[in-house]
Amino acid sequence: MTALDQTAEATRAPETSAAPAPVHRVRKPLADRLLKGWSILVFVFLFIPILVIVIYSFNTGRLLIAFDQFGFDSYAALFQKRTLSDAVMISLIVGALSSVFAAALGTFAGIALARKPGKWTFWFVGFLLLVAVTPDIVGAVSLLPMLVFLGQDMGLDFFNNGIVRLTIGSSLFSIAVVTYIVRARLVGMPANLEEASADLYSTPVRTFRKVTLPLAMPAILAGLLLSFTFSLDDTIVASFVQVSGSTPWPVYVLSALRSGLRPEIAAVSTIMLVITLVALAVVALVLKRAGDSATDIARTMSGG
Amino acid sequence: MKPAQRRRLPGFALALPAWLWLFVFFLVPVAVVFWYSFGYKPGLFGTHANDVLSFDRYAEVFTPTFFDTFRNTLWIGVAGTLLCFVIGAPIAYWMALKAPANLKGLLIALVLVPFWTNFLVRTIGWMVVLSPEGWLSTALQSLGFEPFSILHTRSAVLFGVVYNYLPLMILPLFVAFDRVGEVVREASKDLGATPVRTFMRVTFPLARPGIVVGVLLVYIPLMGDYITATVLGGAKGNMVGQMLASQFQTAQNWALGSAMAIMLILMITLSIAAMAVLAWLISLPFRYQNRVRLEGVPA
Amino acid sequence: MTEQNPIRILTDQAAVPGVLRSLSRRNLLSMTAIVSGGLLLSACSPGGKGGAKPGEGPTATGGKLEDKLSIYSWGDYDAPEVLDAFTKEKGPKIIIDAYGSNEELISKLVAGKGTGGYDIIVPTGSYIPQMVENGLLMKLNKDLIPNIKYMDPEFLDLKWDPKGEYSICKAWGTTGFVYDTTVISRDLATWNDFMDAAANEASGKTSVLDDPAELTGIYFWANGIDWNTTDTAKLDAAEKYLVDELAPHVSAFDSYPGSGAIPQSSAALIQCWNGDARQGILESKQPDKWKWVLGAPDTELWMDNWAISATAPHPEAAHAFINFVLTPENQLANVSYIGYHTGAKDIEATARAEKLPMLDLIFFSPEQLATMHEGEVNEATTRVVDIYNKMKAAASA
Repeated sequence: MTALDQTAEATRAPETSAAPAPVHRVRKPLADRLLKGWSILVFVFLFIPILVIVIYSFNTGRLLIAFDQFGFDSYAALFQKRTLSDAVMISLIVGALSSVFAAALGTFAGIALARKPGKWTFWFVGFLLLVAVTPDIVGAVSLLPMLVFLGQDMGLDFFNNGIVRLTIGSSLFSIAVVTYIVRARLVGMPANLEEASADLYSTPVRTFRKVTLPLAMPAILAGLLLSFTFSLDDTIVASFVQVSGSTPWPVYVLSALRSGLRPEIAAVSTIMLVITLVALAVVALVLKRAGDSATDIARTMSGG
Repeated sequence: MKPAQRRRLPGFALALPAWLWLFVFFLVPVAVVFWYSFGYKPGLFGTHANDVLSFDRYAEVFTPTFFDTFRNTLWIGVAGTLLCFVIGAPIAYWMALKAPANLKGLLIALVLVPFWTNFLVRTIGWMVVLSPEGWLSTALQSLGFEPFSILHTRSAVLFGVVYNYLPLMILPLFVAFDRVGEVVREASKDLGATPVRTFMRVTFPLARPGIVVGVLLVYIPLMGDYITATVLGGAKGNMVGQMLASQFQTAQNWALGSAMAIMLILMITLSIAAMAVLAWLISLPFRYQNRVRLEGVPA
Repeated sequence: MTEQNPIRILTDQAAVPGVLRSLSRRNLLSMTAIVSGGLLLSACSPGGKGGAKPGEGPTATGGKLEDKLSIYSWGDYDAPEVLDAFTKEKGPKIIIDAYGSNEELISKLVAGKGTGGYDIIVPTGSYIPQMVENGLLMKLNKDLIPNIKYMDPEFLDLKWDPKGEYSICKAWGTTGFVYDTTVISRDLATWNDFMDAAANEASGKTSVLDDPAELTGIYFWANGIDWNTTDTAKLDAAEKYLVDELAPHVSAFDSYPGSGAIPQSSAALIQCWNGDARQGILESKQPDKWKWVLGAPDTELWMDNWAISATAPHPEAAHAFINFVLTPENQLANVSYIGYHTGAKDIEATARAEKLPMLDLIFFSPEQLATMHEGEVNEATTRVVDIYNKMKAAASA
């Protein structure tokens, strides 16, 4: 062997590594593998009913639950039955309106909480907590008399409009959620930039527009998304305050539980699923370009 | 340069719109409901009257049959949340700390996609799967099992409820575990801690806030949700929310319904307080164990 | 730190306009106190008064049909082809919504005070007098409904609406039960058999109607008591049976097993209405395993009626629809779909000629008719609803 090889051999780490290493190497992979297996099981569990609905959307029978034959009848029926597509449209419109509204109000409130706390903070946060702790059904049964009072007894016809009522109903919880998310995001960022902006003679409005808002933007977007999701799924409040003629999608399905579930419902759900997947893909692409990691998004959505 | 005219709005001015909105459409209605709960039902077609005030409606709520429903709801709420945690924590842990980093986005999306299908439609999907004459039941029957009879039982309710709220538990847990990060855990291992010790002393305490968020995010809506319970549980799925809705929709007894509503809010708040106290009590022995005794420092 | 600059504060205070000063917390609190006080005071007035008084309110005059029609009815209660044909021929788009009990219908109408937007409603006859008294129904303009001539006069102008001013018979039917012969091998024939099977073979697999009166009905019919009784002792006995003995065996409160429980076999003993039973059995994969039993020795006779809500936004379309549905072809289509007798002239003969399936579940012999009794809304109704709620609570324990 050359001198180089001898040195190499001498400085090579001893073959027998420390005793604990084999124990670690065997134990960790097992736990890891168990975790991975469990996760796969849970994912399957999460998707079973979705798969079932997609499959049953191709049912040509009269009832959704009784599979007759494979066919595209239910999709064809969709185009004939306007009530179904109307219900989805109403849900989408209400979702958009309500989430934008909740995001606006919630953003302002969240910024106020984060940047200008004061003695009022305790009461406001307590108020928001009360909104969060109150179950949907209580909000629903109390909102209906109020809306009827405003619409009938006070004569404000505005509150008799179905879409207005639905928007109000689904905005309440969303405002609390958006406020919390925006506040959480801003609290984590010191007010240096805003102070710098003020030092440079910027008006508060300008600072707000050009510094605070962009800083809070991921939280606002997350809040928008969450509000939209909650509003789309809002069944209980909607079933109480809705007006015939502007029936949202969840209430339509609830009512169908009584009048017989038809395969068209599965067809609509499948189409909505496909649209959601496409939208997700687009969002993922946009965000990848913007550089935000998936974790950051999830983090903001879950309130930091 | 003249300094720009600065109008100083009071601190909470920005929060004002939200405050007003919630006040008119939430606080006042709920206050009115609170007021109704002291009234009574005047005759068949009347919904409520408040000329005679009393606590009678609350006394009615405490009768055994109604109180059983409250207890039932509490049981489903706690059991459901616990199950969600037990099922969701391992997968959240795996997604955050063990899964390949480039897959994380995809995994989160996979968790969220079922959540974005309408919640009733998801429940109906389970109704189809668990149906005694469905394909799953028929397949199991050919293997010699009895036909499925899980629909319309308490178990079906738990099943549906866990399914519907699982993503709400997984996401905050994922964020919490992710926040812990590799660095601290690697440091712990470098200092000789076993994986279990690392989890107990490093990962878990750091993830605790996220765990709290997950538990609350599941528990509170669960207590008020009754639709899943009705669809899958039939008669066994009678939860307080259903009873409440029935008072306002079928029985037209707003006074009694209002009393139940207030009781429900109270029950949720008290149970959360109880859980917080319990959690604090459980943490005491750990805190004692983890305390650091300083040498030479007067006690 | 900039906020603490004294010069800035001084300048700002001088610049703040009066409007902003009024946003001080104290003023805000007093403002909201006044507003909410006003709202609370008005909310404190007893609720529940109906909308228009009887006789008042819009009545159709034969004008142009509106573009929409909202029907609030029982579930799956109209043949889809009839609804589609109406829209195609007359124009108005139909929106249909369903309720599970008359109480729910009335509650929606009363709570919404007319903002619900429903035109046509389908109340059961026994509830109509009270609905009229509370101003929930609109008087029908019979000139716009000439097709009423196709109705069998025996089913018109009954005791709840002697002059036929507010309602026209839509369908009448009865209550019984179906059972799965593979689970219950013996023959069941009466309500007592029903109660017995519920406690034994079908325990945990029994479904009852989600309607208060039909629940106490099970007990009263089985024991030969008039099911409209207001006798407190008898009501107490019914409550005791339902809450303590029957409730634990009940797995579902379902008014529409025909579209779910029967095809899915999620229960083995199901109380249901005759037409719904027929729909369910026809839809089931194994129709032969289900046996229908008319409630015996007594049971119900209910009649659902077309009526128009006093606050209907589309009265013209509503009248046109009722007129449309009463033609012989549409009556037959409806009978075939929903499985109930619609009160049309000679409908039984027509149905037999058309060889519709399962006719014994639609048309009954005079002896069977004699065992059917109409329901009443009286002082006992509140108690009955109370028993229903208690039974539901007990069933989930």
